[in-house]
Amino acid sequence: MPENIKNVCEEKVFKTLYLKYANELKQFLYFKFGDLATAEDFVQDAYISLWNNCQKIVVGKAKNYLFTVVNNAFINAKKHQQIVYKHQEKVKKIARHSTGETPEYLLQEKEFYEKLKNAIDNLKDKQKEVFLLSRIEKLTYKKIAEKLNISVKVVEKRMHNALVILREKIGNV
Amino acid sequence: MSKKSTHINNDTYLAKWLANEITDPQLKKLVTEEDFMAYKKLQRGISLYENLENVNEDAYAELKTKIAAKKKATIRTLYYKWAISVAAVAILFITLTTTLFSKTTVSKTTGYGQNNTIALLDGSEVILNAKSEISYREKQWKANREIFLKGEAFFKVTKGSTFTVRTKNGSVTVLGTQFNVKSVSDYFEVICYAGKVKVTTANHKEYILHPSEGFRKINGNPLENLNENSPKPNWLSDETSYKSVPLKYVLKDIENQFDVVFDTNSVDVNALFTGSFTHIDQEIALKTVLNAMELDYKIQTNKHIVLSKK
Repeated sequence: MPENIKNVCEEKVFKTLYLKYANELKQFLYFKFGDLATAEDFVQDAYISLWNNCQKIVVGKAKNYLFTVVNNAFINAKKHQQIVYKHQEKVKKIARHSTGETPEYLLQEKEFYEKLKNAIDNLKDKQKEVFLLSRIEKLTYKKIAEKLNISVKVVEKRMHNALVILREKIGNV
Repeated sequence: MSKKSTHINNDTYLAKWLANEITDPQLKKLVTEEDFMAYKKLQRGISLYENLENVNEDAYAELKTKIAAKKKATIRTLYYKWAISVAAVAILFITLTTTLFSKTTVSKTTGYGQNNTIALLDGSEVILNAKSEISYREKQWKANREIFLKGEAFFKVTKGSTFTVRTKNGSVTVLGTQFNVKSVSDYFEVICYAGKVKVTTANHKEYILHPSEGFRKINGNPLENLNENSPKPNWLSDETSYKSVPLKYVLKDIENQFDVVFDTNSVDVNALFTGSFTHIDQEIALKTVLNAMELDYKIQTNKHIVLSKK
C-alpha cells in the first residue's frame, strides 16, 4: 500500500507524525496566540483528535488535518478572549497592549525566533552538541562533561563560544 | 570566518551566566551595555527555544498517557500493540475510576453535522443530533435507566421501568414513549410524540406532556407551550425549524451542523426567527435564515462567517 494513503492507526505511523509536526504546530500556535501553555494544550488535543479519528484520516492528509484542528481551536479561543476583553473594558479600561501580546509584537518575536533557530542550527557540531544537551536535554555542564568524556571547563568554553556566535548572528537589539 | 574566530576565546562566563552561576549585574561588568542587552534578549529567545523545540520521546509518552485516559470507555477499539503498551496505565486508571465511582460511564458523541443512532441495552433507541453528547452508567442500567444529555436527541423508549433524561436545564421522565429533548446552553425544549412524559425543570417545577404537546424555556424567560403536528422531529429529515426563537440559538445550530463560526458583533442576536434551514446545503441554509433576518454575510477563510446588517 502506498505510504501516503495508509491510515494513521498504526502506532509507529502516529508517533512519526508526532515527532515530525508537533514542534511546528506549537510554534504556529505560539506566534499567533502568545501563550505557551495554551499552545501545548491545543497541540495535544489535536493529536488526541487525530488518534480518535485515525480510521478516517490517511497519512497524506494528517498534516493538513492537524493544522486545521489547531487553527479552529485558535479561532474559538480568540473569540472567547474577545468576549472576555469586552467585559474587562466595561469594568475598567484596561489597555490591550498592556499584555504585550499584540499581533505586531508576536510577529517581531517570530522573526527573531526564526533568526535564532537558524543560528542554532548553524552552530559548529561540537558547540551545538553541548548547547542542545544543556538546553533541551537539561543536563548540567558536569553531566555533559561526563557524557562526552571531556572536562567541565571545555564544556563551558564551548557553551560560551556558542553564545558569542549566537549573539553576533542576532545582531543588536 | 577568520575575523569571527578572534571573538572566540577561552572565557566561560557566558556559560556560567546562562546556567545562573553568575548574576546579571556581574555579567554587566564583563560586557558592554549593548552586548548585555543583546544577551538578555538571547536568553529570552533561548528559553522560548527550549519550550518550542522540546518534542521528544518524553513528550510523546505524556501524550500517550493522555490518550489512554480519554479512551477508557472504548479501549477495545484501540490497536492491539498499542493496547499492550498502555495496558498498565489503563488498568491503573480503570481501577481508580471503579473504586472511586464504582460505575462505568459510557458516552457517545456526535461531531459537527453528524447524526448518530444509538441502540441502548433494553432496545430503546436514541438519535443524536449534531454536536451532542449522551452518557449513561452501563452497570446500573438495568436498575436505573438514566441518561445524561448535552445537545439535542430524539428518544424511542421501550416499555419498562422509568426512563430519565437528565440535562443541565432539567430532566424528563417517561415509561415508554417517543420524545425529543433539546438542551443547548440555556435553551431547553421538550416535545412529546407518543405516550406521556414528565418534565422537571432545573428549578424543580413539574409538567406533564401528552402527544403533540411540547414546551420551551429560554434562559430565565417564562415557559412557552408548543404544538407539534409532525410525527417526528424534522431534524431527523435533515431540516431544523423554529417558531419565534432568538437568532443566537439558530446560529448555534447552524454552527453545529456545518462546522462554521459566526461573528455576530454587529447584529442583534436576540431578534426572533421563525422558519427552517436544511442540513444538506450550507449556502441554502445560510441564505434562508439570514435573508429572512435581513442580514448580510461574508464567508472568510477558516469557515469564519461575519454577519452584518443589510
